[in-house]
Amino acid sequence: MSAIVNATYPTLNRNAGHRAMGVARMQLINKWTFLGIPAVIIAGAFLFSAVIWALIPDSVEVKYSGAGQAVMWYFFGLGIQSLTLSFPFSQGLSVSRRNFFLGTVGLFTVLAAAVSALYVVLGIIEKATNGWGLQGQMFAIEWVAEKSWFIQWFFYFVLMMFLFLLGFWAATVYKRWQTTGVLVMTLSAAVLLVGAVALITLQDWWPAVGTWIVALTPLTLGALAFVLVLVLGVAAYLTLRRATP
Amino acid sequence: MSIPIVQVQNLSRRYRDVTALDGVNLSLEQDKIYGLLGRNGAGKTTLMSILTAQGFASSGDVQVFGEHPYENEKVLSRICFIRESQKYPDDFKPVHAFKAAALFYKNWDEAMALTLAEEFQLPMKRRIKKLSRGQLSAVGVIIGLASRAELTFFDEPYLGLDAVARQLFYDRLLTDYAQFPRTIVLSSHLIDEVANLLEHVIIIDKGRILIDDDAENIRGSAINVAGTGARAESFAAGRTIVHRENVGALVSLTIEGTLSPAERREAQELGLEVSPVSLQQFVIRKTLDAGAPLERASTGAAPVKTAGTPTRTGARR
Repeated sequence: MSAIVNATYPTLNRNAGHRAMGVARMQLINKWTFLGIPAVIIAGAFLFSAVIWALIPDSVEVKYSGAGQAVMWYFFGLGIQSLTLSFPFSQGLSVSRRNFFLGTVGLFTVLAAAVSALYVVLGIIEKATNGWGLQGQMFAIEWVAEKSWFIQWFFYFVLMMFLFLLGFWAATVYKRWQTTGVLVMTLSAAVLLVGAVALITLQDWWPAVGTWIVALTPLTLGALAFVLVLVLGVAAYLTLRRATP
Repeated sequence: MSIPIVQVQNLSRRYRDVTALDGVNLSLEQDKIYGLLGRNGAGKTTLMSILTAQGFASSGDVQVFGEHPYENEKVLSRICFIRESQKYPDDFKPVHAFKAAALFYKNWDEAMALTLAEEFQLPMKRRIKKLSRGQLSAVGVIIGLASRAELTFFDEPYLGLDAVARQLFYDRLLTDYAQFPRTIVLSSHLIDEVANLLEHVIIIDKGRILIDDDAENIRGSAINVAGTGARAESFAAGRTIVHRENVGALVSLTIEGTLSPAERREAQELGLEVSPVSLQQFVIRKTLDAGAPLERASTGAAPVKTAGTPTRTGARR
């Protein structure tokens, strides 16, 4: 039977990869979500910090600003949004779940790589210009900025991927199991966390944990987060495989 | 000649306490317009969701273009199913939705989409979530038509559309179908509204297929006979009575089958009024018959007199 159908119908033989690319392009149809808003957040956070740096008297040695992380939190929201808003629509356009995942996560991977590179470059400029001439410190965070450019880039990249995938997966869990699913997910995470703390306390492992934390470098922390990113990605994909619009 | 492009075997879908589909067997042929008719909650959307791999079956088998559609781009790229409650990205305007559709349908006809948008008076630059129900339906209808997918589903496409827009949709659908034949499935609970478009009718009720037949066969499969009680009853004796309606001394009977010329004469001599049964009436009789034996007629149908004329009660709900 299937042979007859296939012989009669000229099959499209459309390369599946094209459709993953189509998903990425669909996510970019409205330029604001993936490009405009992150740009505004980074630029806005920087300008605000610059104004504040200018107001603080120069007698302070380093004027630290945490505004660099603002865009990362947006990426957490973006992970949620890119699933909830676009997944049902992509289903209406008969895109497979696999290609929706590849297109969306692939697009964000490119974006995260670019923003991370931007952070590294801005960090270098910041250090070279004595904090934009204002002794400000926003992109060249001490603990990270002293490492090589690649480790800096890797650290930022993994952090952004982690936040995006966390949002993406949470939204997928909600799509598939609604509130119950998210509740079970957060409760399990809490139980795991409390369990770990209890274990460490009971076993008297706190000094060892302390040493371990102090010994963490951007590279080891990044590598650890990278494993989490992979776990999150696989979990999100497996959850999406059976999600309905 | 007729090639089945959709084959469904013993398909069931159970939710915790509801059986949405119950042992459905079905086959759709290439280049036909199907009507998937039934009441709200009959299982129409569930069935279409599973055929397009948007939803999942509990048991049974589905083949579309000879393969299972799930995660199968070869099959999926030939299907379009914009559901009645389709969600769009929050910040999307109709123009964005059409751009997105153009990315995935190789036969997408941009010029047609734009013409249709103008004809439906669709505000292309207004956010979709701010559109009226009718305008929202228009977005789905335009994507369905302009995608020219080999297998296209329209899910209650007329919701909120005014009479002019509805007629426009039916006209455009038929013109485009004549030019680019494909398989079209129109799901509807307003039956007479779409009756004239349909070549084949599938009636679904409580997750089961009640009728799966050519529209012509169905139109000829029952007839209304109305007149004074005793005369009508004796005329109908020995025939299967699908439905009975009493108004005072008058009775209106829906009987199965057709009348021979001799029988028509006999009915005339008895002073009985013979009239064809519209598809909508037929479906109502059949579904009521399948469920609780209600003696009450359909909501709007005026008794006896007008029962035979194919009414257009579309806009009423």
